[in-house]
Amino acid sequence: MALNRRQFLIGAGGLAAAATTMGLGACAPGSQGGGSQGGGGGQGGATELALAWWGNPTRNKNTQAMIDAYMKANPDVKISGQPGEFNSYWDKLATQTAGGQAPDIIQMDMNYISEYGTRGALLDLSGVDTTKFVEGTVDSGKINDKLVGINAGINSAIIFANPKIFEKAKMDMPDDKTWTWDQMLEIAAEVASKSGVPFGMASMVGSDPMFGTFVRQQGKELFTPDGLGFDVAEAQAWYELNLKGVKAKALGTPEQISEESAKPLDQSAIVVGTAAMQYYNSNQLEAVSNAAGGDLMEMLRGPSLAGKATERKTWYKASMLWSASAKSKNPEAATAWINWFANTPEAANIDLAERGIPPNSEILAEVTPKLSPAQKVVAKYIEDIKTEVGTTPIAPPPGGGTIAAVLFRHGTDVLFGRTSAAEGAQKFVDELKSNLQV
Amino acid sequence: MSAISELSHIHVEKPKTAEERQQRRKEAGRDNKAGYLFLLPWLIGLVLITLGPMLASLYLSFTNYSLIQAPEWTGLDNYARMLDDPRLHKSLVVTFIYVIVGVPLQLIVALAIALLLNEGMKGLAFYRSIFYLPSMLGSSVAIAVLWRQMFEVDGLVNQVLRLFGIPATTSWIADPQWALWTIILLHVWTFGSPMVIFLAGLRQIPGMYYEAASVDGASRWAQFRKITLPLLSPIIFFNLVLQIINAFQTFTQAFVVSNGTGGPADETLFYTLYLYQRGFVQFQMGYAAAMAWLLVVIIAVFTAINFFLSKYWVFYGD
Repeated sequence: MALNRRQFLIGAGGLAAAATTMGLGACAPGSQGGGSQGGGGGQGGATELALAWWGNPTRNKNTQAMIDAYMKANPDVKISGQPGEFNSYWDKLATQTAGGQAPDIIQMDMNYISEYGTRGALLDLSGVDTTKFVEGTVDSGKINDKLVGINAGINSAIIFANPKIFEKAKMDMPDDKTWTWDQMLEIAAEVASKSGVPFGMASMVGSDPMFGTFVRQQGKELFTPDGLGFDVAEAQAWYELNLKGVKAKALGTPEQISEESAKPLDQSAIVVGTAAMQYYNSNQLEAVSNAAGGDLMEMLRGPSLAGKATERKTWYKASMLWSASAKSKNPEAATAWINWFANTPEAANIDLAERGIPPNSEILAEVTPKLSPAQKVVAKYIEDIKTEVGTTPIAPPPGGGTIAAVLFRHGTDVLFGRTSAAEGAQKFVDELKSNLQV
Repeated sequence: MSAISELSHIHVEKPKTAEERQQRRKEAGRDNKAGYLFLLPWLIGLVLITLGPMLASLYLSFTNYSLIQAPEWTGLDNYARMLDDPRLHKSLVVTFIYVIVGVPLQLIVALAIALLLNEGMKGLAFYRSIFYLPSMLGSSVAIAVLWRQMFEVDGLVNQVLRLFGIPATTSWIADPQWALWTIILLHVWTFGSPMVIFLAGLRQIPGMYYEAASVDGASRWAQFRKITLPLLSPIIFFNLVLQIINAFQTFTQAFVVSNGTGGPADETLFYTLYLYQRGFVQFQMGYAAAMAWLLVVIIAVFTAINFFLSKYWVFYGD
C-alpha cells in the first residue's frame, strides 16, 4: 500500500468536500457578450430568429406549422423553434438571458413579464398593430407604459363543473349569475356529500385569480404600481372562507387539498372524477374535457360577494403573451413575426384558439367557424362576459409572480390548523411584501 | 508499517559535486513536468468548471443579481438578510433533521445488509447487485415520482395497509407531519453505495481474528463489537463523512416529491430547494449564491467536527 488507510481517508474526505462546492458553479453568470453564436444575421443573407415557447403536443405541432408557413412566405427569414415544458422553460430562459443568448421571440407569461420587462430585457413592441384588439386585451402587456407583450389569446378564470357528478347527486347546475361565495360553498358541500366525491370544489385556496376577484369585489387590487393592493383583512377573510369550506366538507380535507396541488392536469381531481367543480382557466376546457373522457365540462362564472355576475370584477386575462428580446439582433424581424401572428388569418387558421381566444376581433370572426365544439363554447363564453369584465389588473410587479405559491403555503398552514387565519394572513402579506422588494 | 514510512528509511546518497546536483534538479524538473502534464485534464476541469464558477459565485454573493441585469455590489446585504429570513431558517431545520436522522439510519441499514451478505451465501453477486440497485435509481426523477404515488392517500402503501385491515387514510406525502419522513425513508432505501464499501471493508478483516475469538469462546455479538466494529471504524468514518456531505445537498427527491414547492407547508423545504427557488423562481441569484456559500461553511464545519471526533472512535490498525 502506497498510502496508509488514514491518509487515504483524509484525502478522500477532502475530495468529497471539494466535490460539494461544484454545485456553486450553477450560480455563476454566463459570459455577457454572447458573441457570434446564433447570429449570422446580415452576412449570410438570411435573417435568423430563435422562437421559444412552452406547451403541449398540439401547441408544438401548431407552432412548428406556423413557423414553416412563415418561412415559406418569407424565404429570407430562418426561424429555429425551441419548444419546452412550462417549469424548465423559465429556468432555461433565465439562464439564456443571463448569458446574453435569449431567444429573439419569447412566449411570455403574466407572472414573469415584469421580471423581464422592468429590467429592460424585453423589446418595445409598439410596432405591432393592436388596433383591432378587443378592449382590455392590450394593456396586460404594458410594463411601465411600454408595450412589451402582445396578448396571444384571451382567457378568463373559470370554474369547471362535471355534469355527471351533478347528475349523480340529482342536483341542477348552480345559477352562476347570482351565486355568492357562501352559496358556492353550500352547493359544493351538498354535491360532494350526495355524490360521494371528496371535493365539492377543488383548488380554491391557492388560486390567485379567485382570490383576485375576491379582493377586487371589496374595492382592492392584488397589486398596484406602489406594491401590494390589499391588506391583511382581505387575506384573513379569504382564509376564513376556505376554513369554513373545509369544515363544511365542501373543499376536501387539508391533506387532499395539499396532494391535489402537486397534480398535473391529466391527474387533476375533475379529470379523474373526484371533484364536482374545480378552478381552471377557460382555454383549458378542451384539454380537461378530453382528459376526462370527452364529455364537455360545464363552464361556470366565479361567485361574487354581491350575488351579481356583473359585480364580480373578473377580467380578460392573457393566457400568454408574445415578447421579444431587447438584445435581439433582428428586432424588426421579431416584431414582424409577432405582428403576423396577431393580425393575419394564415397564422390564426393554424393555431385557432389553442393559445386562447384570439384578441383581434376580425381574426376571431375569421376562425370561429373552424373552431372545435369545445373552443366554440369558450369563444361564446368570452363573448358573453364582455359586459361583466372589470378593469384589467396590472401585471404582477417583480417578485409578485410568487403570489399563488405564498397564498397556498400559508393557506395550507391555516387549513391544517397549524396557525390561525389571522396569523396566516399576516405571514402571507409579510412574505409577499418582502418578495416585492427585489 | 506502511509503505510511506518505509520509504523514509531508505538511505539516499547525497550528491557530491555541483554537476551532480544540477543533473538531479534537471531530472526532477523533467519528472514534475510530466506529472503536471498527466494532471492537466483534471487541472483544466478544476479551474474552468469548479474554481472559476466558485469564485464568480463568491463575488455574486455580495451583489444584487437578477440574472437579467448586471450584478450590482451590495456588500454583506445578502448575508444580513439571511438572519431574518424565516423560510431559510425553516429550510435549515428540515435539512438538519434529514441529515441527522437519515444518514445514521441509512448507514445502520447498509452495515446490517453488508454483514448479512458477508456470510458467504450463494449468489452473493446477485444479491449485491439487487441491493445496490436503489442507490443508482434513488436520486432519479422516476423514483421520486414513483415515491409520490406510493405514499398518496390511495397509493400502494395505504392499499397494502388496508389489505391488513388497517384503515389507512393518511396521505403520507401531503400531511405536514409525515412528508419529510417519506423522503428520509427514500434516503435510507438508497443504502447501496455505503453497503458496497462496508462489504469491501469486511472482506479485509482477517478471518483468523474470528477463529481465535471463537476458540476463546467469544459470542457472535462480542466478536462484532470487539473485532468487526473497531477494524471497520475507518470505513464507517469514511461513509459517514461522505454521506453527510451528500445528504446536505439533497435536491432531486425534494424537488420532485413536492413539485418544487417544498410543501406541504414547507415541511420538505430542503436547503438546496430553497436556494433554487430564490435563484430561479424569484430571480435573486445573489442571495442564492450567498446561500450556497453558507452551505459550504456548514458542510465544512460538519466535516471538521467529524474529523475531530474521529480521534476518539476510529481505530487504525496499521
